[in-house]
Amino acid sequence: MNFNNRNFVRGLCLMAIALVFGGVSFSYTMGELSRSGPGLFPLLVSSFLFVIGVLTVVRSHFVDPVPLDYSVKNIAIILVSLVGFSVISQFVNMILGIVFLVFCSTLAGTSYSLVRNVKISIGLVAVAFAFKQFLGLSLPLY
Amino acid sequence: MEVLHNLSFGFEHALTLQNLLYCALGCTVGTLIGLLPGLGPLSTISLLLPLTYSIPTGGALIMLAGIYYGAQYGDSVSAITMKIPHASSIVACIDGYQMTLKGKTGLALFTAGVSSFIGGTVAIVVLSTMAPALGEVGFLFGPADYCALMLLGFFCVSFVSSGSLLNGLAMAMVGVLLGMVGTDVNSGVARYTMNLPFLMDGIGLISIALGCFGIAEVVKNLDNKNVLTPFNGKIKLMPTWPEFKRIIPSALRGSVIGSVLGILPGGGPTIAQFAAYAADKKLSKYKHEIGTGCIEGVAGQAAADEAAARTSFIPLMAIGIPENAVMALMMAAFVVKGIQPGPNMIATHPDLFWGLVASMWIGNCFLLVLNVPLVRYWLSVFKIPYTVLFPAILFFCCIGTYSINNSLDDIYTTAVFGFIGYLFLRLDMEAAPLLLGFILGPMLEENFRRAMLLSRGSFNVFVNRPISGTLLSVIGILVVWQTVVFIRKLIKSPDHHIHSGKQGEQAPTPVAAAATSGSLASGE
Repeated sequence: MNFNNRNFVRGLCLMAIALVFGGVSFSYTMGELSRSGPGLFPLLVSSFLFVIGVLTVVRSHFVDPVPLDYSVKNIAIILVSLVGFSVISQFVNMILGIVFLVFCSTLAGTSYSLVRNVKISIGLVAVAFAFKQFLGLSLPLY
Repeated sequence: MEVLHNLSFGFEHALTLQNLLYCALGCTVGTLIGLLPGLGPLSTISLLLPLTYSIPTGGALIMLAGIYYGAQYGDSVSAITMKIPHASSIVACIDGYQMTLKGKTGLALFTAGVSSFIGGTVAIVVLSTMAPALGEVGFLFGPADYCALMLLGFFCVSFVSSGSLLNGLAMAMVGVLLGMVGTDVNSGVARYTMNLPFLMDGIGLISIALGCFGIAEVVKNLDNKNVLTPFNGKIKLMPTWPEFKRIIPSALRGSVIGSVLGILPGGGPTIAQFAAYAADKKLSKYKHEIGTGCIEGVAGQAAADEAAARTSFIPLMAIGIPENAVMALMMAAFVVKGIQPGPNMIATHPDLFWGLVASMWIGNCFLLVLNVPLVRYWLSVFKIPYTVLFPAILFFCCIGTYSINNSLDDIYTTAVFGFIGYLFLRLDMEAAPLLLGFILGPMLEENFRRAMLLSRGSFNVFVNRPISGTLLSVIGILVVWQTVVFIRKLIKSPDHHIHSGKQGEQAPTPVAAAATSGSLASGE
């Protein structure tokens, strides 16, 4: 029971995914093998996945543990900037969305510079205009 | 003769000004993006796939193919000059980087370019002769055989991309389950949609691909804080005649190996490179020099790489089953354009098929004529700091997801998969099999249900049919072999514990970190 062991946690994750998908599959009609309903195949696959999860957990006991390392900060910043981009594009316009994306996501970088961000934003907005003009993408830029 | 006739028909289509332009554009953009750290062929294609939606079918496929082998070549450039590989160019790091250390970067790049050209040419000969023939075989496949072939594909891809059958297979199964989301075609029941209307059509492929390969990759690079030292050495491209002569035999050997391995399920560039490198080590006249930075070490693997990249189109176009994740993406592109790859494709869309084959050779020429001489300018891409690069990558991810359905909601899905992809990455779970599983999942279910219907619920059908029986026994052998290897390791080690050397390689040296990060990200 070592929650800092990558292999072990991976096994648990797989089992959890299998249980979720397998559990939900019971709410659909099963049918029989010769005439299967919508629930049968997901159940088969998730049972197989569950077995793999168990095997992974068993295996992790015989293999040197690998420490689990992650940092919440970067992934959080990136996700916020993506969601922000989408929200702003929806309610204001995409140019502002792009500016927000640049200014927010660069918080995750090693260094932060306003001037550079302005330059990146201008560049990306120009690219977006080019996409709209030359590739025919319908971007709600303004 | 028929082949020649067909090829000339293909060239007619590929040599129109428009298609030439798409081909050149694909090669160039593919190479450029392939050069960037952390973006292998898989991420490059998923980033650029949405941009081809507005292009006519033939041009779009030609451009995508160009992007693919362009990215492949770009990868080997970054591997040779700076030892940052993606999965598609791990082997190029060995001798290629050694040559850079010796100051022979230009020679290494030239060798890689010329060998790729030779490999590509051989592969196209194989492609144009084999694909129609294999298409005939494709007609013999029944539902059970398709199931068996897909399962074998899962096993092989798992094995090749993550080195561990268990991990890769698990991811393929997760992919299959994700593929179940949406409306069941047989009964019309909405499955796993959580009552969200936009999930009724299933999860968008691009959201998964960009989440797992684009966004997760960006975050991982940010976590690593890896600072790249741009390559500033001199590049002298032209080799001397004796040097040039050394390229040929090794490249030819690599081409043959690559062409063969490219066709097999789960095959593709990665495994072909390793095989070709191993073959050169055994057979080459200069085998004692391999590993210290010699031409043969670069030529063989580059040729195999390029050859396999092309012949891996064969199973996709002849049977309709993509054999690795890159081909799965290609298949998605075909389907978006309204073309179902499979035995019927060559007959119903000969212009597309032969045009694509011909354009591959033209793309080969572009790579050789344009990209090899220009490579020194392109290396300046590396002078762009990552802090500038990653907002741009995120921007492309957003635009790419958005432009599929012109829907901003899809960006949320991408963000969710970015998070999931990051978790997977941190748990050492390879995303390439997931993508393959996701695309093949619905097909697997369909064929499984059909096979069961035909056999009245008996599993015997999988064993009784010669094709599926053979494929399943190959899977059996793979499983037994893996188990035996594991148990033998366990018994041999004194404390009955496996101290895998692989983890040692993941030591926090920047190069090793870059190497493993690359290989994690964009497995074939």
